[in-house]
Amino acid sequence: MANPTATATTHDASASQHHPPHLKHYFVSSEQQFDAAKLGMWLFLITEILLFSGMFVAYTVYRVWYPEVFTIGATELNPWLGGLNTLVLLGSSLTVALAIHAAQTDKRRTLVRYLVITVLLAGVFMVVKYFEYTHKFHLGIFPGAAFSYAEMSQPYVPIFFSIYFVMTGIHGVHVLIGMGVLSWLAWRAHKGHFGSEYYTPVELTGLYWHLVDIIWIFLFPLLYLI
Amino acid sequence: MKAQHGHHVTPKKTLIKVFAVLVVLTIVTALTAQLDLGGLDVPLALAIASTKAGLVVLFFMALKYDNKVNALVFALGVTFVAIFLTFTLFDTAFRGDLGNVGSETISDIERRESMLRDRAAGVPESTEGTASDPSIEGGEE
Amino acid sequence: MAEAKHQKPKAAPAGDEGHSDHGDHGDYITHDTSIKSWLLSVDHKRIGIMYGITTALAFLVAGVFALLVRAELFMPGETIMTADTYNQMFSLHGIIMVFGFIIPAIPGFLGNFLLPIQLGAKDVAFPRLNLTSYYFYLIGVILIVVAMVVGSVDTGWTFYTPYSARTGPAVLFLTMAVFIAGFASIFTGLNFIVTIHKMRAPGLTWNRLPLFVWSIYATSIVQVLATPVLGITVLLLFLERLMGIGIFDPALGGDPILFQHFFWFYSHPAVYIMILPGFGIISELIGTFSRQRIFGYTAIALSSVAIAMLGFLVWGHHMFVSGQSAISSIIFSLITYLIGIPSGIKIFNWIATMYKGSVSFKTPMLYALSFLVLFTIGGVTGIMVGVLAVDIHLHDTYYVVGHFHYVMMGGTVIALLGGLHYWWPKITGRMYNERLAQIAAGLIFVGFNLTFFSQLVLGTRGMPRRYYDYIDEYTFLHQLSTVGSWVLGMGLFLVLGYMLVSMFRGEKASANPWHAATLEWTHTGRRPSPHNFHRTPLVTHGPYDYYLAGEVFGDGVGNGSPVGDTAPSEEARSH
Repeated sequence: MANPTATATTHDASASQHHPPHLKHYFVSSEQQFDAAKLGMWLFLITEILLFSGMFVAYTVYRVWYPEVFTIGATELNPWLGGLNTLVLLGSSLTVALAIHAAQTDKRRTLVRYLVITVLLAGVFMVVKYFEYTHKFHLGIFPGAAFSYAEMSQPYVPIFFSIYFVMTGIHGVHVLIGMGVLSWLAWRAHKGHFGSEYYTPVELTGLYWHLVDIIWIFLFPLLYLI
Repeated sequence: MKAQHGHHVTPKKTLIKVFAVLVVLTIVTALTAQLDLGGLDVPLALAIASTKAGLVVLFFMALKYDNKVNALVFALGVTFVAIFLTFTLFDTAFRGDLGNVGSETISDIERRESMLRDRAAGVPESTEGTASDPSIEGGEE
Repeated sequence: MAEAKHQKPKAAPAGDEGHSDHGDHGDYITHDTSIKSWLLSVDHKRIGIMYGITTALAFLVAGVFALLVRAELFMPGETIMTADTYNQMFSLHGIIMVFGFIIPAIPGFLGNFLLPIQLGAKDVAFPRLNLTSYYFYLIGVILIVVAMVVGSVDTGWTFYTPYSARTGPAVLFLTMAVFIAGFASIFTGLNFIVTIHKMRAPGLTWNRLPLFVWSIYATSIVQVLATPVLGITVLLLFLERLMGIGIFDPALGGDPILFQHFFWFYSHPAVYIMILPGFGIISELIGTFSRQRIFGYTAIALSSVAIAMLGFLVWGHHMFVSGQSAISSIIFSLITYLIGIPSGIKIFNWIATMYKGSVSFKTPMLYALSFLVLFTIGGVTGIMVGVLAVDIHLHDTYYVVGHFHYVMMGGTVIALLGGLHYWWPKITGRMYNERLAQIAAGLIFVGFNLTFFSQLVLGTRGMPRRYYDYIDEYTFLHQLSTVGSWVLGMGLFLVLGYMLVSMFRGEKASANPWHAATLEWTHTGRRPSPHNFHRTPLVTHGPYDYYLAGEVFGDGVGNGSPVGDTAPSEEARSH
């Protein structure tokens, strides 16, 4: 209380002396900026989790009500394709983690390579998904009211497929967004924007990508297996 | 291992090991799903999926080495998903739990009681007639 | 009322250079006055003002709808509009008030303007995200207007299925509007949480945060946790309409009550998004105008967080008569009672703060006192409808309408008005006319109670909400309510009037006209400079240590400079 002046300059001096280009003026240090970005990303991730939670709640409610429908519906889904896609996404999670590792250790070309591999794996995932979807449309399995698959005329089966399409559809949209962002990052990494000094976008996108993976880790058994 | 800013750098070896475990768990869940474990099918699949998700969160997302506040945020998110699910199930899993309550209303009961009282005062032997009245038994399923 | 805010940019004549901001290019308004510098600004203060203008316009539009609805109800039968128009009027009133005004109003306007300054930061953690949030909100509002033009917005603000899956196409636009405005809300909340965690000035520990910051913090948690569920809900409703996915549609095997769970999982916590920032404002007002350190600081701060958390566990009390299971009704009812505890803690602490303080009845304090009365009525009636058996009688009656207007309008809007008057000199650099302001506060208080207390009575007598017509015996109370709405409207338009005048003619305010002790008063000039502070402040005392603020900072010297406005503030205060 003795010196309650308004002129304290605890951080400004140091900030102005060492001012890397990525550091925004309203942050005191790179560290503060990185921590803030990361906390922001984690908050964003829980909004994603809660967004998907709505679908998981719908899934659980209908599964409790009509368990047999889920068993019947799952027989129409190909567990091999689902399993393949699980492995593909897990692999892309690994490559994105390795990309961050490369950024942290200043291996810029490795960083670019891992980012490109991640995008390619995501592409494989989407291609498999495309074949799964078209096969179902071919059979007349559409979400909701348009459902016209004669071999599954049991009541409530269309609800299962509505849930399937909405869950995998929203997940697929997230994969597409991830592919876009990862490609952009690969381009920036190619330009040499990232290194151990500054790799926040890579780290944050990595977090996002892992979450997309986690959602699929749950979708795979819930829809394809049980 | 620490990077320039004191960020934790997860060693490559750890990442690859975690990936290997994830692949193994995927195969395990695919195989166990083919067996008929009765009521254990769903819990087992969920347990394996949760383990896999936990590994991704702890190592790939490096939450194990991260700021505690980020872990808190993540825990908060998961907690509220659990709340959402549980409280919705309180309804949907018990929907219609009032269906077995009698259809008799309070005024029905009062009317019956006053009738019984009148009869007790007047003609005592005719009470059995009311007992067989279906509207008094209730029991609408 | 706050419609006045949209004039603010123009309120700063070019020559009106604040002396507070020595050695710079003017304060946050005068340093650049081009339109582009406003529309693309990443300055939290300007974004706050843009939020203020837009939410104020939304309030004006939805308020006019409310006046029209009340006018229609002046007499039984058709008075001024058809039943169909009436349905659209009350739906739009609800939708615009909720999504266009009350959710974004305090966090978007006062929160954006004040939070970084109260934290001693230059800006929020993610300024561009902040601007994005504003434009998402704006797109949401525009889509609501589009839906209005498309017509047949007659679902009420709750969009209950299966009706919303069948009625006109406007629902498609409304769900899109709500989805996009939801992102705005998430971004704001996320930004504020990170800002509070990572951007506090040195010395500003968690127990020195102003209570306004605490309340915004609690609000932000709710915004981040609840809003995504609204997103998926309206997305599913959108898909339901578009391709009939059937999850909520009983005709396709779905469950409409599940929609209500989804909807209220967001929308009940959303009620706390609306009221919690109001609590924060009231804490600031009562502290400053009682010149007392806030009684039970920790209790008030943590009760906000407790309300935020408990608020997630009570959504089913909106569904007691929906056909949900009895066991869930009982659980939800019990937890609903618990919400009364943290709310009560706040009320008692505020009253204890005033005890033996030097209470001065300036306009902001009048609003704070109104709040105490009105919010208590709102809270107590809320507990009543939380009682299972009582709710069977009161559900969907005017009692519920009265209850939530006491909380939302008597709580949030009154708090917002108090906050608007309190921070007006900081935002515009000018004082408003105190006498007119006191008259307006009185009109609003009387008008409000006339309008909504009669609705509480109507409700207990069985008048159902949303009805276009009613039996003759309700006529007197309906007319009382309508007359009340006119008085209320008069009060609010009076506020609009003198606030507009004050921006041009108002007396110049000093940097700290209320002798408050938080950073926005003690460490910035008459109007803050573009980056708020020239040097990061070092915080050495709590937010309510008024004796220190008065002794050390005098009248607020702005950035710790001796050049600031040091004139005694008596003329400002006596005005």
